[in-house]
Amino acid sequence: MSTQSYKGKDAYAGVGGTPDKMAVFQECLQQFNASPVNAKKCRQLLATLLRLLYQGESFPSSESTTLFFSISKLFQHKDSSLRQLVYLAIKELSETSQDILMVTSSIMKDIQGGDLIYKPNAIRTLAKVLDSTTVSSAERLFKNAIVDKNPIVSSAALISAYHLLPQAKDVVKRFTNESLEAVQSYKQFPPTQWQLHDFYGASTANLPSTSYMYQFHALGLLHPLRNHDKMGLMKLVTSLSEGGQLKNSLALIQLIRYISEIVTNDPALLNHLYPALASFLKHKSDMVELEACKTLVGLERHLSEDQFMSIITCLQKLLSVPRISTRFAAIRLINKISMSHPEKIMVVVPELENLINDQNRSISTLAITTLLKTMGSSSAAGSSSSTASVDRLISKMTLLMDEITEEFKIVIIEAIENLTLKFPSKHQQLVSFLTDLLREDGSLTLKSAVVDALFDLIAYLDDSSAHQLILMNLCEFIEDCEYTELSVRILHLLGQQGPQTSNPSYYIRHIYNRLVLENSVVRSSAVVALSKFAIVCGGSIAANIKTLLTRCLNDVDDEVRDRAAIALGMMKRAPDAKKLLVSDGQYDLGALESKLSSYLSTNDFTIKFPIDEIPVLSAEELKSLEYTKKMNKLEAVDTTQEASPVEGPSGAVADNGAAADALKQQQYEAELFAIPEIAAFGKLSKSSSTPIYLTEKENEFVVTAVKHVFADASKLVIQYQVSNTLSNCQLEDVSIVVESDNAAYEVEFNVPVPEIGPNGQGVVYVALSAPSLDQEDAEVLAAFGNTLIYTYKEVDDGVTDDGYSDEYQIEDLEVLSGDYVTPLYNSNFTSVYDQLSVDSDSTVVTINASSLDEVVTKLKNQLSMMPLDGSDYVPSDAASHVVKLLGKDVYGGKIAAVVRLAKTGGKIAAKVEARSDTPGMAALVCNSV
Amino acid sequence: MGQTFSFANIFGKVWGASKEIRILILGLDGAGKTTILYRLQMGEVVTTKPTIGFNVETLKYKNLTLNIWDLGGQTSIRPYWRCYYSNTAAVIFVVDSTDKERIDVASKELHMMLKEEELLDSALLVFANKQDQPGAMTAAEVSMALNLTELKDRSWSIVASSAIKGEGLHEGLDWLMDVIKEEQL
Repeated sequence: MSTQSYKGKDAYAGVGGTPDKMAVFQECLQQFNASPVNAKKCRQLLATLLRLLYQGESFPSSESTTLFFSISKLFQHKDSSLRQLVYLAIKELSETSQDILMVTSSIMKDIQGGDLIYKPNAIRTLAKVLDSTTVSSAERLFKNAIVDKNPIVSSAALISAYHLLPQAKDVVKRFTNESLEAVQSYKQFPPTQWQLHDFYGASTANLPSTSYMYQFHALGLLHPLRNHDKMGLMKLVTSLSEGGQLKNSLALIQLIRYISEIVTNDPALLNHLYPALASFLKHKSDMVELEACKTLVGLERHLSEDQFMSIITCLQKLLSVPRISTRFAAIRLINKISMSHPEKIMVVVPELENLINDQNRSISTLAITTLLKTMGSSSAAGSSSSTASVDRLISKMTLLMDEITEEFKIVIIEAIENLTLKFPSKHQQLVSFLTDLLREDGSLTLKSAVVDALFDLIAYLDDSSAHQLILMNLCEFIEDCEYTELSVRILHLLGQQGPQTSNPSYYIRHIYNRLVLENSVVRSSAVVALSKFAIVCGGSIAANIKTLLTRCLNDVDDEVRDRAAIALGMMKRAPDAKKLLVSDGQYDLGALESKLSSYLSTNDFTIKFPIDEIPVLSAEELKSLEYTKKMNKLEAVDTTQEASPVEGPSGAVADNGAAADALKQQQYEAELFAIPEIAAFGKLSKSSSTPIYLTEKENEFVVTAVKHVFADASKLVIQYQVSNTLSNCQLEDVSIVVESDNAAYEVEFNVPVPEIGPNGQGVVYVALSAPSLDQEDAEVLAAFGNTLIYTYKEVDDGVTDDGYSDEYQIEDLEVLSGDYVTPLYNSNFTSVYDQLSVDSDSTVVTINASSLDEVVTKLKNQLSMMPLDGSDYVPSDAASHVVKLLGKDVYGGKIAAVVRLAKTGGKIAAKVEARSDTPGMAALVCNSV
Repeated sequence: MGQTFSFANIFGKVWGASKEIRILILGLDGAGKTTILYRLQMGEVVTTKPTIGFNVETLKYKNLTLNIWDLGGQTSIRPYWRCYYSNTAAVIFVVDSTDKERIDVASKELHMMLKEEELLDSALLVFANKQDQPGAMTAAEVSMALNLTELKDRSWSIVASSAIKGEGLHEGLDWLMDVIKEEQL
């Protein structure tokens, strides 16, 4: 291995290149085994070795072990700096070496009696060296170190104990009292701490006497120890949040996060914990205040108006502090609030307007996007001054746009797109802002962002004047567009949208100009666009285009000629071609892909590929999928923020909602069809998207259920996922007894699980015959009582006892209209609603809920319908609200519901009006609310 | 240059102070190795735990610098003794004189160790430890059980000792120092 091969691998490898690995290895062995040991030389060598390791070099296990043993010989030397380096090196080598336990005794001796300089190093190294068999021998040492009056030693022990948790939780659990003592103690650095090293000698005058950092470490250790004991954790958190015991800002932030975790799991505890959180809003540290704000914003739906205002006041104060990072964090939070409740931050608008000119561009960009949202809210409220404020803001932005970098421009473009989608009435100003951007100089990325935004607006704005405006601007843009890629995309869009507009010839002229002036790639896409006009519009337009395309047959480029020829050919068979171009649906690509791959894997090509089995999505369904995706993406900032560290992986799943749902449905389908009896039911119509918990999440046995509806066969299959969280028992012959309160449902068969091992999982299926909506007076709604039946066997060292049979009552499961409906998007709700006339029904109910917002979310999830026209957004000061919901039932019919909500003294009254294509469906929806 | 250098070397050896003498303390677990080490170093009896790995101490004895390595005696640790054999001037082998059942194991470990090439020139001192306990074998009995008389080409000695009472330790070490000085001159 030569030096050469490693050179230049790392830009930071530094002056003089990386030392040769093998040379260092050899010299280490030689020097460390020498007698007597030359401390200075060994220090230098260890430093070189560490530099190699820190740069990512590693030694194979045998060499690493040899190195380790030679380093262990340095324990004979008393030099404390050498000892520190020895510990650092052992820590690094502990991953790759074997038999590292050989230094255990020597380290323990250093911890007991050693020098203060290397004692913390020794503690940290010990944690790496110990394994589950040796850890108990160090128990006393750790306990003493945790309560050591030197904060550095205490911190080292606390952190090391934390790292030992995975291997020796039982032992670390015994440190609880010591950790509690540490978190509440007051430890000072020893006065000589900084004089121990010559290096610090001169500059020790103004050093703090303590950092309280050990409190943070102790709290960090206590949390996992108390994690399964909810009351214990509550007690810890309450006692620490009172009386200002915690001095360290990081510790306080951590404490706030723990509070947030507790409250997220059990919102009822908020009343108890709110005073603590509120007191942190007036803390002297910015960080703590910000963390408290962040947590409270996350709990927003449980807060009263006054409580919420105190957050805003705190953030308002933080917006004007000199420190940039604080201002940034504050405005980011305000931005987050503005996504759901723009009206709540109206009070900070003056501050936000000042921040547009902040020298930090991230802050100014956020200020603008936030202001854009408040603007939308004021216009929603219908105030006449809003137009003026829009104009003012846009002029400010136009000024700013010259100064900021492209990334920020793109952020702003996305914000404007989002705003336009939410508040279509504002499209005129916003679209003109976007098209102005197109005209100015900019890179491909920037222009693509603008074009993307405009494309989306065309797809989702239901306003033909807006379409015209955008299309005309795009036409103008391609007249002078230097990017082939964009021209091609725009031409494609023109080809799709242009024919439906009132003046197609306008676009044809622009497209024809491309045909004359541009390069071959653009020309060929212009040919295709033109042919679409001809085929869709027909008439005189078709004749004119025919002339134009005939000229293209003489084009110098092959591709253009070919396409022109094909286009002319297609125009001759216009009716068929029209069907091809203006098709209403598209195959479900996910399903198509999986079917194709399974078709290919069978290797039997004598059978025709069953294209009929692939579900066809109608244009509306496609749009609803895309719309959900789009909204998810635009508000992605929102979801990533909500997925706070304590929540873990749950947030990540929520991210790509629609796509994940489709995938999951396919997965369920594959699993279900593996069971022959269920496969006989035929096509799976709908699976409920999220599993419903029928037990507490922290139960010994956790049961979740997913409902699968087979509409054609009138069957319902319930999939019970049973997980056994105990490590010492085994469940056998697990099944579920289902009792329905609705005689229309009858259990047909039960697919039990023969065995669920310790910490294992199993799936029980129960198939029921379900009433069909086609029947008269079908009662679809039902509730099922569920009982888990199993044989319980204890497992001890692989030996199972005979066990006994037992049963366990779990929660009921309801069948609601949502199980028969999938959300559907349509940009014009009113017309859809008016056209639905087959069946209608209405009902009035009162719902126990504190806020309208909560009810809307609940309705959306329960009915599994899509809120349209921005009706999922509820202004927080509103006393009444109308939600427009649209969905598609499993029989293929549309279903629309208008829910009028009004607050009446602590409760919410809802008037539901539903209309559907399928008879009975409307009543079903009404009854499900 | 070379002349002065080697002269200094010899000079140092005469006074014995500049060079460290490396000594290993080995033996089965619970024989009293760690107690002996600290009895020699600090002159007092310390409470010990089974040594996981090793302890190393430097001590001045009769104008010599001794670098004493006390390696753990548990079965799991014995395989690593060999990692510390190089440059060893002497081995102190400690036997629990009351543990008649495992004296054979001790004997096996001892002879296996002495076969190692790196230890061919090392002197051997055996402590028949725990003489303060009732029923302890005498030094002669231990010597028999360990087959010490079979050892050829090696300076060895056996001393009855009690680390708790401090008996026999200095006597043994004195002998060891004499041998080492002799060999090095």
